[in-house]
Amino acid sequence: MTRLVLSRLAALAVILLALSAIVFALEAMIPSDPVRAMVGASATKEAVAAKRHELGFDKPLPVQYIRFLGRAATGNLSDSLRTRRPVVTDLGNFLPATLELAGAAAIIAAVLGGLLGIATARGKGTAPRLLMLAGASAPPFLLALALLMLFYSKWHILPSSGRLSSSITPPGGPTGLLVIDGLVHGRFDVVSDALWHLALPAFCLALGPAVALGRTLRSSLQTVLTQDHIRTARAKGLKERTVLLRHALRSALNAPLTMGGLQVGLLLAGVVVIESVFAWPGVGLYTVQSISSTDFPAVAGVTLVLGALYVVINSLVDLAQVVADPRLRAA
Amino acid sequence: MRTGTIRRVFSLVAVAGLVLSACSTKSSTTGAGSTPSTNGTLNLAYLADMSVPDPDVFYDIEGNTVILSAYQGLVDYKPDSTTIEPVLATSWDISPDALTYTFHLRSGVTFQDGTPFNAAAVKASFQRRISVNSAPAYMLAQVADMQTPDPMTFVVKLKSVVTPFMDYMASSWGPKIISPKALTDNAGTDFAQTWAKTNADGTGPYKLTAFNRGQNYTLTRNDGYWGPKPNFATVNIRIIPDMNSQILQLRSGGLDVILHSFPVAELPTARSDPNLTIRDFSSYLQSLLYINANKAPFNNLALRKAVAADIDRDTLVSQIYGSYGHPAGSPYAPGILDQSLAPISYPTATVNAPAGTPAITFAYTSDESGIQSRLAGLIQQKLQGQGFQVTLKEVTNPQVYGYATSPQTLAQAPDLLLMTNTPDAAHPDTWARILWGTGGGLNFLGYSNPQVDTLLNQGASTSDAAASAQAYAKAAQLLVADYGILFLADTRDVMVMRKNLTNVEHVPNYPWALRLGTLARS
Repeated sequence: MTRLVLSRLAALAVILLALSAIVFALEAMIPSDPVRAMVGASATKEAVAAKRHELGFDKPLPVQYIRFLGRAATGNLSDSLRTRRPVVTDLGNFLPATLELAGAAAIIAAVLGGLLGIATARGKGTAPRLLMLAGASAPPFLLALALLMLFYSKWHILPSSGRLSSSITPPGGPTGLLVIDGLVHGRFDVVSDALWHLALPAFCLALGPAVALGRTLRSSLQTVLTQDHIRTARAKGLKERTVLLRHALRSALNAPLTMGGLQVGLLLAGVVVIESVFAWPGVGLYTVQSISSTDFPAVAGVTLVLGALYVVINSLVDLAQVVADPRLRAA
Repeated sequence: MRTGTIRRVFSLVAVAGLVLSACSTKSSTTGAGSTPSTNGTLNLAYLADMSVPDPDVFYDIEGNTVILSAYQGLVDYKPDSTTIEPVLATSWDISPDALTYTFHLRSGVTFQDGTPFNAAAVKASFQRRISVNSAPAYMLAQVADMQTPDPMTFVVKLKSVVTPFMDYMASSWGPKIISPKALTDNAGTDFAQTWAKTNADGTGPYKLTAFNRGQNYTLTRNDGYWGPKPNFATVNIRIIPDMNSQILQLRSGGLDVILHSFPVAELPTARSDPNLTIRDFSSYLQSLLYINANKAPFNNLALRKAVAADIDRDTLVSQIYGSYGHPAGSPYAPGILDQSLAPISYPTATVNAPAGTPAITFAYTSDESGIQSRLAGLIQQKLQGQGFQVTLKEVTNPQVYGYATSPQTLAQAPDLLLMTNTPDAAHPDTWARILWGTGGGLNFLGYSNPQVDTLLNQGASTSDAAASAQAYAKAAQLLVADYGILFLADTRDVMVMRKNLTNVEHVPNYPWALRLGTLARS
């Protein structure tokens, strides 16, 4: 276990170094002048030069990169060119919204995927499978707009955008996750309102991963159900439900867990589209706005944080696999 | 048995969803953007966050509504006009040598924090703009001295004549007056810039009561406002980056106005919606085709002229803009300078690209309306029809700003560039100098003509209005003859709004913004 954690930490450091190097290489490859764009068309050459010097953009790129790494090591990801605030402050504002959305989506994906996998493992449940496949095949923005048209425009039962109604004051910490914060402060109005705002974006985000998880679980279950220990369990007279849920499911979890780890990457990529459509104030929205402003400090900051998140979650998936399948402990 | 159980689970999930949905109806009707606008709240949207609500740093278009509602300058422009009207200054005198401006200030005005407005406050705000020295500071670069001979008189002395000075005062990016108390209390070490990143304290009709980056900005009626009381108690501006989502909310009543970039393809649907109306306003927005004359093939005047002929500008503009734009009559938008002083006349006889003409790169910045990409696509087609090999690519603003940073970058820059831009104020100097003056901030493909620069300096330094206009006109005529930038269209500022909005006022120099202080709902 210790070896696994250490190897993951080492991988994390290498991956973050590589990611940051890629971002800086991209900066070098795309000729642009974000400082000029920042100070405006009418600024004097002296004003532009002063700002460029202040931000360190007048230094050679390798020097900028080394300085960036030095600051990043102390938790300083520089200032955003667009918001003019430390990137760390911006991420502190935007990341909780994404974590809440991605977390809710992951739960929905796990539940839907699980139900789908179990329902279809014996060749049944064709209707829900087809429905989910159709949903997952649609481009996320199209699915999001279709659901908005139904649930917001037509039936008026779900809100269209944002995390919370404007009439409700957010509880103000401690986590920035509104559902959790609402529970901590006993603000059930916040909890219910936040959940209703989460429903559509989280569902849209979850559908693709849910289908992928469901299909993997189905395939895995179908293999396990043909194995000897399942035959033995049935021969003992156990109910089919007990055989499936208690004996087959645990052995079949390895592949879906691996798939789940991979889906986290897709899920984090998906937030960019979903957050735009639902005006969800998360890092996806922050990234889109930063890219269009060529705000490299912000883009680099987001890349590092999401990269770290991806590695950490996949490491947790590895651990979960070990817990779920005792055979892996020996390995 | 198993299948039945799972079906029951699915059914339970579905039923729970429906029940919860039904229960949620009430709460969601009060939710953000979930229902038609309530009385007293105006709902607007931005496609992206504004940079900061600091009037001495802010230099974008998205965000004009916030700045112009929370803050005021000494003067502004009348709606649909270039006439300068009193705001915090009731009148002003300009010395015969045009070097001293004396502003007589409005009495009985207080800032949103209750601090009285006076000449000292004006001086402090002007001084702050100079000290902050960010993008809009250039408007006060020639200030030599500021005096407050009495509490309601403010005098500015200039180092040299600045012909657009009063237009700078009226510009949406011009000096705004900030509460001196707020500036002192929050001074820090950066002239209160940290405070002004999320706060505002001016004399405008609305207070900025919430600035939640990425989420929403809330403007609340300033009950102590010196002018007519604003009609809406609250203005909620949400950040909704997806235009389709904005349209959905506008049609459902969750938004009152889409301030800009409404997709042209959706306009017919909006026109047929009984609850919506399309309003178009005068603006100084011009669609421009820059030509890179610093390298082959367009270092050849004949080829630049060929492009002007081949794109068939009039048909192009009619196809793309319909009634919301017309072929540009001059390098100066209507209202900035008499267009007949510098008219545009592009050749119409098409010319084929000579054999051996190298392939050209054509860049454009895109927008949510789809106009830029459609225009770029049509121009590409027209040029290819005449034998040019054209590669189209979409670029971002910071990339465009990087083209003219050195001769090397200019050599690598695209051959053609399509942009839409607007001047800082309704004065020819605020357009010509940055667009085709050597080294100008919007002179993206490095056009340079020393004669033009001399004429621009003449125009800016004479207090004789007629002579100044002639100088600016000649500078434009030279550019037109050089085919350095092709002026495609004078465009309208198009907004789609709920039909029940009334008292809609718009100023051509303040794009993508309405006067919230007068706006009402019937």
